[in-house]
Amino acid sequence: MLVAWKYRPRDTFIQRLDPRARLTFLACIILAVSGAQVWDIRLLLPLFILTMVLYLMARIEWRDVWRAWAFILFLVIFIVGINGLLAGRGGPTAVLQDQSAALYKSPTLHIPFTPWSITLTITVVRSFFAITQIVRMLTMAILAIPIPYTMDPSIYGVTFRRMGLPDKASFTMDLAFRFIPTLGRDFMITVDAQRARGYELESAKGGVISRLRRLAPLIVPVTMSAIVTGEEVIDAMDLRAFGARQRTWTRQLHLEIKDYLFIALGVAILAFFIAVRVLGYGEFWVPEFWYQLAQ
Amino acid sequence: MKLSEEYPLVVENLSFRYHSRPELAIQDVSFQLRRGELLLVAGASGCGKTTLARCINGLIPRSYRVDRAGSVFIHGKEVSAMSLVEVAQVIGTLLQDPERQIVASNVWNEIAFGPENLGLSTQEIGERIDQVIARLNIEHLRGRDTFTLSGGEKQKVALAGLLVMRPSILLLDEPLASLDPASAHEALAIFRSLADEGSTILLVEHRVEDALAARPDRLLYMSAGRVRYLGAVDSLPPEIDHREVKLPAPWVVQRVHQTQPTQSALQPPPQAVAEGAPLIEFKDVSFAYGDGPEVLHEVNLKIHQGDLIAVLGPNGAGKSTLVKHAIGLLKPTRGLVQVEGVDTRKMTVAQTARKVGYVFQSPTHMLFAPTVREELAFGPSNLGYSRDEIEQNVVASVAAVNLTGLEEYPPLGLSFGQQKRTGIASVMAMRSMIMVLDEPTAGQDYANYTQFMEILCGESGEDGKSLLTANFAATLFITHDLDLAVTYANRVILVGEGRVVADGPPEQVLRDFELLQRYRVRPTSLLRMNLDLLSKTGRFLPAEALAVYA
Amino acid sequence: MDNQSGLWSFSTRQVVYGAIGAALYGVFSWITNVIPLPAAGNVTFRPAVAVLIFFGIAYGPWVGLIAGLVGNTLGDGLSGWGFFWNWSVGNGLMGMIPGLAMAMIQDYRSGRSIGIGIGWGALGIAVGMLFASLTEMFVGGIDLSTALVGYFTPAFIGNLVVTAVLLPILMVAFAGVTSRRGR
Ligand SMILES: Nc1ncnc2c1ncn2[C@@H]1O[C@H](COP(=O)(O)OP(=O)(O)OP(=O)(O)O)[C@@H](O)[C@H]1O
Ligand SMILES: Nc1ncnc2c1ncn2[C@@H]1O[C@H](COP(=O)(O)OP(=O)(O)OP(=O)(O)O)[C@@H](O)[C@H]1O
Ligand SMILES: [Mg+2]
Ligand SMILES: [Mg+2]
Repeated sequence: MLVAWKYRPRDTFIQRLDPRARLTFLACIILAVSGAQVWDIRLLLPLFILTMVLYLMARIEWRDVWRAWAFILFLVIFIVGINGLLAGRGGPTAVLQDQSAALYKSPTLHIPFTPWSITLTITVVRSFFAITQIVRMLTMAILAIPIPYTMDPSIYGVTFRRMGLPDKASFTMDLAFRFIPTLGRDFMITVDAQRARGYELESAKGGVISRLRRLAPLIVPVTMSAIVTGEEVIDAMDLRAFGARQRTWTRQLHLEIKDYLFIALGVAILAFFIAVRVLGYGEFWVPEFWYQLAQ
Repeated sequence: MKLSEEYPLVVENLSFRYHSRPELAIQDVSFQLRRGELLLVAGASGCGKTTLARCINGLIPRSYRVDRAGSVFIHGKEVSAMSLVEVAQVIGTLLQDPERQIVASNVWNEIAFGPENLGLSTQEIGERIDQVIARLNIEHLRGRDTFTLSGGEKQKVALAGLLVMRPSILLLDEPLASLDPASAHEALAIFRSLADEGSTILLVEHRVEDALAARPDRLLYMSAGRVRYLGAVDSLPPEIDHREVKLPAPWVVQRVHQTQPTQSALQPPPQAVAEGAPLIEFKDVSFAYGDGPEVLHEVNLKIHQGDLIAVLGPNGAGKSTLVKHAIGLLKPTRGLVQVEGVDTRKMTVAQTARKVGYVFQSPTHMLFAPTVREELAFGPSNLGYSRDEIEQNVVASVAAVNLTGLEEYPPLGLSFGQQKRTGIASVMAMRSMIMVLDEPTAGQDYANYTQFMEILCGESGEDGKSLLTANFAATLFITHDLDLAVTYANRVILVGEGRVVADGPPEQVLRDFELLQRYRVRPTSLLRMNLDLLSKTGRFLPAEALAVYA
Repeated sequence: MDNQSGLWSFSTRQVVYGAIGAALYGVFSWITNVIPLPAAGNVTFRPAVAVLIFFGIAYGPWVGLIAGLVGNTLGDGLSGWGFFWNWSVGNGLMGMIPGLAMAMIQDYRSGRSIGIGIGWGALGIAVGMLFASLTEMFVGGIDLSTALVGYFTPAFIGNLVVTAVLLPILMVAFAGVTSRRGR
C-alpha cells in the first residue's frame, strides 16, 4: 500500500488555470455560501450548477474519485439525517418557527432503557430545508474535491508564497509533501517488522483501550524515527543556507487574462451574495408547489 | 594568519565537548589542507569524526551552542565569524544518509534548493543546475521524484545539491555507508576527480580499504577524540589499530607478523548436512508486487539443518523480497514456499514466526517499548509463551548479544549498534529455529560489526559452539560486505535479477570473479588472499588467521 | 529538543518539524480511513490525534498549528475528500494549544509532565473540536444541538480517549530519544 498523491497531469482548462486563481475562487465561493448565509435555493442552484460544470471540466477519472463521492454522499445524508432528528433551536430562523404542515409523521419511537421517546415529524418546511442544505454542501464539496487530483503537489509552496505567506511557512508545505511517501513506506515496513514478531493488528481482543494500546508498536517507531531524521534534516538545510536570505522560487507562476477573469467571477459571486444579504433578501424560501404536497 | 591564506582549511588545536556529556568529543586537533588535497579521516565509531566535521562547517558552535576551544580558518577566516550564506558557498557537507539530506520531492527542485536560498536569479540557477547535472552525468535523473531514487542515485543527487553552490571545500561524512560496493566505487571515483579539479576534500570513512580507491593524499586517524596519526597512506602506520578500521588484508597480515600470529576465536563453520528433509523449501517461486513487474523468477532453494548462509547481490536484486517469503510476509504469486513441509499460505505470519525469526535491516523500524526488557518480551508474548518462559528467553537473549545491564534502559536511547543488537535479541527471544538477518552490519562501523559478528558466529564459551549454531538450526543473512561471506558463512547464495545465480560453499562460489563482477560484487583483498592461500588453509579465514600461513 | 528557544520563534527547526508533523498526521489519518479501527457507537477513533498533540507539546504552538492545519488537509486530500476548511482550522487549534505548554515540560518521562500533556491536550481538543462543530452550523446549516450532540461530543470523547491512551506512550518513547542526542 503505497501513499500516492492522486494528482495526474491533464490538459484541461482547470489545470491550465493559475493555482492562485483557483484557490481564490474556492475561498470566494466558500465564503459566499457559508459566510453570507444565503438560504434561497433560487440563488444557490445556479451556483451549484456552475461548480458542477467546473467539476466536469476537470475530467477526473471516475475510478479515482468514486470513494470521495461515496464519502460526501454519506456525509450529506448523515448530517441531514441527524439534523432532521435533532432539529430545534438555532439554524436559519425560518426553520425555527416551523408551524408548517407535516408531510410525514413517524410512529413514536421509544429509545431503549431511557424514559425518552421521539416522534420524527418531517414537515414541509423542514423537508425543503434539507434539500437546500444538500445543495449548499454539494456546491462546496464539488468545488473542493478536484483540488488534490488536479493541482501539482510541487507548486503549493510557491503558490502560497506568491499569495503572501513568508518564505519559511511556504516551504513547509513543500517539505511536508516530500515526507509523505517516505513516512508511508516506513509505516508499511514497520507493520511487516512487527508482524514478523507475531504482532497481529487484526486480532480484536479486548476493549477499545487495549486495542488502541496495540497501535503503539506501529505508531511509536514511525514517529520516533521521523523525529531523529528531523534533527539531521535541520542541519542539512542550515548548511544549505535555508532562511538566510530572501528565497528565489524558481518555479514561475503567471496570472493570465483567463485567471483574472476567473478571480473576478469568484469575487463577483461573493459580492453579489453579500449584497443580497445586506439588502435583506436570500432568506430561506419554499416554493408554493411544495406546500401542495402536504395535502 | 599568513599560513591560513595559502591553505583553504586550517584547524588549530581544536577541542569541543557536548554539554550533555562529561568528556571531550575531540581534543586539540590541528591540521591544514592544501587546495585539491583529499584527506581521509578514519577512526572507530564515537571517535569524533562527525564532531570534527560539524566544527569545520560551523554547525558547532552555531547550532550546538557550546563553547569551542581552538580555531577553524576557512580561507583565512574564522568559521564562527562567517554567516550561513558565506559558509554555504565555501563548504559543502554530505551527510551519511542521503535520505536525510534530501528536502525536495523531485530531483530538479532538490538541486535548486541551495541556490534558491542564496537568492540567485532564476536564470543563473538554471545554468548552474545544467552544469552539475552534466558534471555528474545524471541527466537521466533530472525529472525523477526523489522518493523513487535508489540509494546510490540519492547520494549523487545530494552531491549535486552541494556542488551547485560551488564550494571549494567538501566534507563527506561516511558517504558510502548506504551504498552497495559497486555504487560506492563509482562515488569514490567522483570524489577523486573533484579533488583533481581543485576541491579540498575531507572524506570520513572507517572502511579504509574501500576508501583507498579514491587515492587519498593523506590519512588522519583518530581515536577517543585525538589525532593519532596524520600522514601518508601507502603502508600501515604503527599508530593505527587494525581492529578499529577496515584495512586491506595484506596490511593486517603484515601487522600480525610484526606482533605475534594468533589463532582467531573463530570456529570453522560446521558444514551443513544436506541430507534429510529441508527446513525451508522454495519450489519454483515467482513473485511480483501487486501488478508490478515480476521480481522473483522460478526460485528453487532448500535450507537445511546447519546452514549458515550469506546472501549476496546488488541493490534491487530481490534479496529482501526472497527472504520475506521464508516467513510468509510475502506469499509467492506462483510456486510455493514450505516451512517444515507446511505451505506458508496455510499459516499466519505469527505462526510462521514461531519457526522463522526475521530481523529487519533497520532497528528504528521496530523499537518502541520503554525498556529493553519489554522490547524483548513483545515477540514471545505475542506468540503466547508463558510468563516465566518469556522471562527466561529475555534473560538468555540479553546475555547472548551482551546487553546485560541495559535491561531497564530505553531502546530508543541506545547507540545505533546497541539498537541493532536489541533488534536481534528481540527476535532471538522468540526462540525460532531459523534466524534470518537482513544486512545485520549495515550502518555499524567496522570495529562494532566485526565484534558483533564475532558474538553471533564466534565461539561463545560452552562447547565451542557459536551463538547462532547453539541457538538456531540454520541462519541466513543478507549482506553487501563480501568479507562477511568469506569469513562467517558455510554457504553463499548469489542473487541477481530475481534469480539464484550461484549457490554453494564460499570457497566454490566466490572463486568465479567473472560471475561476481557481473552481479556488482567487488572481490576484496581478503578474498584474493584467501584464494591464493586456499591450498594451505583448506578453507576461507579472516585476515588475522591468514597470517599463520602467509 | 531545545526548549530554551522562545515559544513563538519560527526557525528551520519549526519548519522541519512542522512539515514532519503534518506529513505524519496526514499519513496516519489517511491510514485510519483505510484500516478498520475500534469504534464505539458513533464515536470513531483517530489515533493520529495523539501524534498531533505530541508534536504540539514537544515543538511548540507553531509546529502544532502547522501539523494540525496542513496535516488534516493533507489527510483529506490523500483520501480524496476535498477540503473542509473549518475542520482543518479546528485541528490546527487542537495542535497549537497544547504547544503553549512546551516550556513547562522538561522530563517527558515524569508523571507530572504527562499530566500536563494530557491536560493541555484535552483543552486543545475541546477548543479545536468546538470551533469545528460550531462553524459547521454556518457551513452545513445544522442547528446548535446537532452541532454539540452530533459533532462535538463524539469527536471530543474519541480524541480525548486516544490522547489519554497514546500520548503517554509517545512521551516516554521521546524521553528515550532525547536521552540519546541532546543539543
Ligand atoms: N549531538 C550530540 N550530543 C551529545 N553527544 C554527542 C552528539 N553527537 C555526538 N556525540 C558524542 O560525541 C562523541 C563523538 O561523536 P561523533 O558522532 O563525532 O563520532 P563519529 O566518529 O562520527 O562516530 P560514528 O562513526 O558513529 O559517526 C561520541 O561519544 C558521541 O556519542
Ligand atoms: N514494497 C514494494 N513495492 C513495490 N516494489 C518493491 C517493493 N519492495 C521492493 N520492490 C522492488 O523489488 C525489487 C527487489 O527489491 P528488494 O528490496 O528485494 O531488493 P534487495 O536485493 O533487497 O535490494 P537492497 O540490496 O537494496 O536491499 C526492486 O526493484 C524494488 O524496487
Ligand atoms: Mg559520524
Ligand atoms: Mg534489501
